[in-house]
Amino acid sequence: MNRSIVGSALVAAAFFGPGAAFAQPAPEAFVIGGVVPLSGAYALLGTSMQKGVDLAIEQRGKVLSKPLRAVWEDTETKPQTSVQKANKLLAGGVSMLFGDGASGQTLAIMPVADQRKVPLLVTTSAADQITGANRNRYTFRTSNLVFMETRIAAEYVKKAGLKSVYVVAVDQPVGRDAWTTMKGILSTMGVAVAGEDFAAIGSQDYSVIIDKIAKSGTQGVFVITTGADTITFLKQAGQVKLGSKVKIFGTGFLDDDAAMAVGPDVVGVKTVARYHFSYDTPANKRFVEAYRKKYNEWPNAYAGHAYDGINWFLDVVEKTGSWNPETWVTAFENSSYPASLFGPKQMRACDHQALGVGLWAEAAAGQAPQPPLLLKVTDTFPAAGLYPDCPKT
Amino acid sequence: MSVILIGLSLGMLLFLLAAGLTLVFGLLGVVNFAHGSLYMLGAYVALQLVAWTGSFWLALLLAPLAVGLVGGLLERLTLRRLYGRDPAYQLLITFGYILVIEEFIRMVWGVNFRSINPPSPLAGTTELFGSTVTDYRLFIIGFGLLLSLALFFVVERTRIGIVVRAASANSAMVSCLGIDVGKVRTGVFVAGAMLAAISGVVAAPLLPLKLGMSFTIIIDCFIVVVIGGLGNIRGAILGAMLIGMMRAVGQQFAADWIFLLTYGLLIATLIFRPEGLFNVRGRTA
Repeated sequence: MNRSIVGSALVAAAFFGPGAAFAQPAPEAFVIGGVVPLSGAYALLGTSMQKGVDLAIEQRGKVLSKPLRAVWEDTETKPQTSVQKANKLLAGGVSMLFGDGASGQTLAIMPVADQRKVPLLVTTSAADQITGANRNRYTFRTSNLVFMETRIAAEYVKKAGLKSVYVVAVDQPVGRDAWTTMKGILSTMGVAVAGEDFAAIGSQDYSVIIDKIAKSGTQGVFVITTGADTITFLKQAGQVKLGSKVKIFGTGFLDDDAAMAVGPDVVGVKTVARYHFSYDTPANKRFVEAYRKKYNEWPNAYAGHAYDGINWFLDVVEKTGSWNPETWVTAFENSSYPASLFGPKQMRACDHQALGVGLWAEAAAGQAPQPPLLLKVTDTFPAAGLYPDCPKT
Repeated sequence: MSVILIGLSLGMLLFLLAAGLTLVFGLLGVVNFAHGSLYMLGAYVALQLVAWTGSFWLALLLAPLAVGLVGGLLERLTLRRLYGRDPAYQLLITFGYILVIEEFIRMVWGVNFRSINPPSPLAGTTELFGSTVTDYRLFIIGFGLLLSLALFFVVERTRIGIVVRAASANSAMVSCLGIDVGKVRTGVFVAGAMLAAISGVVAAPLLPLKLGMSFTIIIDCFIVVVIGGLGNIRGAILGAMLIGMMRAVGQQFAADWIFLLTYGLLIATLIFRPEGLFNVRGRTA
């Protein structure tokens, strides 16, 4: 009896132990598990990300000689749903996760990716914690973070010679954190804080805040809002011509779609541009042409960063020649991407944050076939000095 | 003074949003969760009408009629079968309206932000009490006042209003008097839908049009209705003014306390005066 047990154990070790007699077969396809908001407040963001990735898939066709495809799950702009959908995709055997949209949702799915040891690619969410306090081995971000965008805005304050700044921010951790960072930088520059107002997400009326700004004597207004709140504030500020009295600027709070929704009063507002279709690199020109051909519209920041990030990751996977996600993670954290839409980018191994240039833009009138209102990139900031130091492990 | 003026415009906008809900909630006893969706539909229909005709005023006239028709069809075909049954059925069906209207808007107008500008005569500004106020906000104050007076007059001083209030209090008796209670209920729901659409058209030049805009206003509507009293137009005006002023003064001097004060007032009303601050207590047998 003892000999048969030992014999069985030896056979099992031969099959399943190190140096096993056969390797696991490669999956039948490389599957991207997309967890993005396709409904709810951030539906535009999620559908744009999906378009960027779908274009990349169409152009590549295969990865590691296997068909490349994506499975999309709608996270409905809710963190609880993000976690459920991420788990569902992982149970279905996806090769990687891609998403989410809002930072709160991304932070919610990061532990899921970490637990299941599956790479998670972030190309939209900007919260510093994603590659900061909450970072993990399997999460990578190829797009901007709040710290970087705040530094770019501070450079603008210096360049414009503003002596005082009033802040209007969403009353959320990301808004307050961004202001705390900016306030610290402004104090070192000797710029006075003329006032602070934090409004609830979804505020319908900024008239009291706008009145306070107009009466404060401030030279600049730093706006930390997103989506509908940005448009509401800028529309109502524009209706009383606030922009003719103060310089209105922000960090990634405005894009072409929002500029169109605000209307002509948006002209002159300045912002960090997370991406723009007019940015002059050969890779970006090719991307914009392909995107317009497929979708008959100009790509926005969410589509641009999604396309850029997924191509970078898949290039790295292809070079490894391996189906082992650990190999991908190690290769990606030490990779660079010279073919980025933004010019060369470098992944930083200490926190899995990609380093690249920062773009500063101003809302202006456009000429056909471009949209009638759009962002125009006015300044490009090199990566050096824009990113936080590597966290101490 | 400028804060008071801003509070007035905030309050009037809140009243326009809540007027339809207080009618339907108070007179039909229906918790219409789809009120926000009808407001959103009104804004999008106005967007389309402005795109076709270039006229905001035509949109203000026609959009409520279109949404009123939608409201009438919804009530006649679905809600009417549920009166007298468990209120949970009404909640479910109005929730269903939300999903249908949301998807319809997505299919027709997409997910991008859209915008309407104030009409040209109201695109300017006026200096009042040391503040720059848009002419459009002054229009909102005046329009809201006129509409509230008109509603008050119809509900409190006309035969139609008497019939509606009587049907709300005792539909069986009203029916015995030969009045088609079904038609009265449809009429009230249509009026509620039209008021929701009016508020959507009026609010549109101040806000971006987007999917989900219905959810951001429905809570405010219920706050005003509960504080003002169900079915009470005067209460809705006063409740809206109270909330509007609290928000304006709060944002000016103590922004962190706005939500606490607003919801604190709501809770206090529910505990100590559940019929509403401005409603008359009903007599129980």
